[in-house]
Amino acid sequence: MRLPESIRQARYHARVNATPVIEVTDLVKVYKGNTRAVDGVSFSVGEGEFFGFLGPNGAGKTTTIRILATLLRPTSGTARVDGIDVLAHPGEVRKQVGFAMQTVAVDPLATGRENLELIGRLRRVPGPQLQARIDELLVLMKLTESQKKIVGTYSGGMKRRLDLASALLHRPRVLFLDEPTEGLDPQSRNALWEELESVNRSGTTMFLTTHYMEEADRLCKRIAIVDLGKIVVEGTPAALKRTVGNDVVELQLEADDPDELERQRAGVGRMLEGFEPVAELKPSPAGVQLYMANAAATIPELVRRLDGNGVRLGALTMHQPSLDDVFLRYTGKSIREEQATQHFSGWY
Amino acid sequence: MGLAYEIFLLGRRSFLRWARVPGNWLGTLFFPFLQLFIFSQLFKDIIQLPGFEESSYLAYLAPGQIVFAVFLGVSWIGINLLMDYHSGYLDKLRVTPINRLSILFGEMVPLFFTCALMGGVILVTSLVLGARLVTGIPGAIGILVLSGLFAVAWAGTSFVPALLTKNEQAAGTLSLLFFPLAFMSTAFVPVERMPDWLQVVNDWNPISYVIEAERGLMSTGFDAGQVTRALIAIAILFVVTQAATIWAFRRLTTA
Repeated sequence: MRLPESIRQARYHARVNATPVIEVTDLVKVYKGNTRAVDGVSFSVGEGEFFGFLGPNGAGKTTTIRILATLLRPTSGTARVDGIDVLAHPGEVRKQVGFAMQTVAVDPLATGRENLELIGRLRRVPGPQLQARIDELLVLMKLTESQKKIVGTYSGGMKRRLDLASALLHRPRVLFLDEPTEGLDPQSRNALWEELESVNRSGTTMFLTTHYMEEADRLCKRIAIVDLGKIVVEGTPAALKRTVGNDVVELQLEADDPDELERQRAGVGRMLEGFEPVAELKPSPAGVQLYMANAAATIPELVRRLDGNGVRLGALTMHQPSLDDVFLRYTGKSIREEQATQHFSGWY
Repeated sequence: MGLAYEIFLLGRRSFLRWARVPGNWLGTLFFPFLQLFIFSQLFKDIIQLPGFEESSYLAYLAPGQIVFAVFLGVSWIGINLLMDYHSGYLDKLRVTPINRLSILFGEMVPLFFTCALMGGVILVTSLVLGARLVTGIPGAIGILVLSGLFAVAWAGTSFVPALLTKNEQAAGTLSLLFFPLAFMSTAFVPVERMPDWLQVVNDWNPISYVIEAERGLMSTGFDAGQVTRALIAIAILFVVTQAATIWAFRRLTTA
């Protein structure tokens, strides 16, 4: 069951602590050939937060997350996880973090349970505790029934969930997720989102990278939009979308022929003349599109104004600007266009 | 202590990965079996030439085929670590707070056991076919230990090019040096029957020392000098290939 947004927000803020768990200052990574993959990035993530990097492939998301997970050395700048410098004490950082990578890394010739046991033992989770934790995670990831099967026989979604379980065995303080739902079908994606939310609810700080706007919107309470190695803008998804401006209200009109539709459009125009919240009015194929601030609060008044005078309202829908609109506004390009132009393989 | 535990855990994974694919041990055994069965018949009469001390050519051939099995057990072995590298599994291990070298040793240590096991299969087969083992069980253990040690030493020749090029195709390039070395060794004919120049080459052939020690244990008896020479040859190989492998591994895993 999903609670109303307001209650979820309130609970989230009650839980999230302002103490930064991830602190990144002026991080730069220059690869051979002078590619500035990360070009002066600074941000911090509070304890228990669900924070995300949203940007197209090649924006520097994976490089940043790999530096934080101690897999890559930055060219300059500092990064601390749980107060520990990732360069000075990588071993200590590794104890505190879990990392689910973009490429699902599981041993295909071992069973699901064996996969988890190996990582758990390497992380020195004590025996009885480890078995209990594995049982718990297998239930959470819905893998209990397939735990004794060789992982090579698993579906893509199952491998993803097993990989995620292996990153959670030691109850990390911070979980790094690099494109966690890449390559999943919509159903598996939704299921994984719920699992990630429940991991966050249990107190784990989450740092996620994604190029799926829906994913950032649904999961992250705060996001940084990144492009070309820099943070373009940062904030809550709602606040970012407000910076784009108005909500879009679509009025579908019931008309028997085009002339009738045109008359109704004109009627709507007359009735809304001088109605302040409407910033702009545009004809759409089946009616009229209104751009207005704070549409949710104004819709009752809008509907009252449209009552009578021969306007037959078939449907009224409203949507808020998407994060893609935000990305478009700040970078001048669409995330969608950038998809699949550059793909990460191996490590640099 | 911690390192040993990590090597045990990762070594067990490597071993199971090997044991679960029958092609691994079938492929290792096929060629030595072939040589053992066919060459022992094809060149049966060669045993009458001076220089052979064995009762049959099969008995002469057997130690070389044990070493052949060991070579085939490790000739492409670097590919496994490379697959973990490309799949991201190596990164996953690198994010855990373990000693990085236990990842490499977790690949190396099981080779001692799997290759000793493969050598043992060839040894038992040749005994069934009529070869002798004059030193009994202790000698057999000695043969398996020498085989296992040689396996780990030779494995480096597959790891180094694989890790340096990050290309699966490269994993079997350098290790193929075994073929000329094996064919110029005493695997097929005793040194007395070789032309002069091959006799000189043979003095520097580490594979000959391993084969001679194993042959001694099978057909003439324990000879401390022979075994020591084999151990020295393996040790030199071991130091060179392992040092290079560790260097290549660090290069691969240091970003």
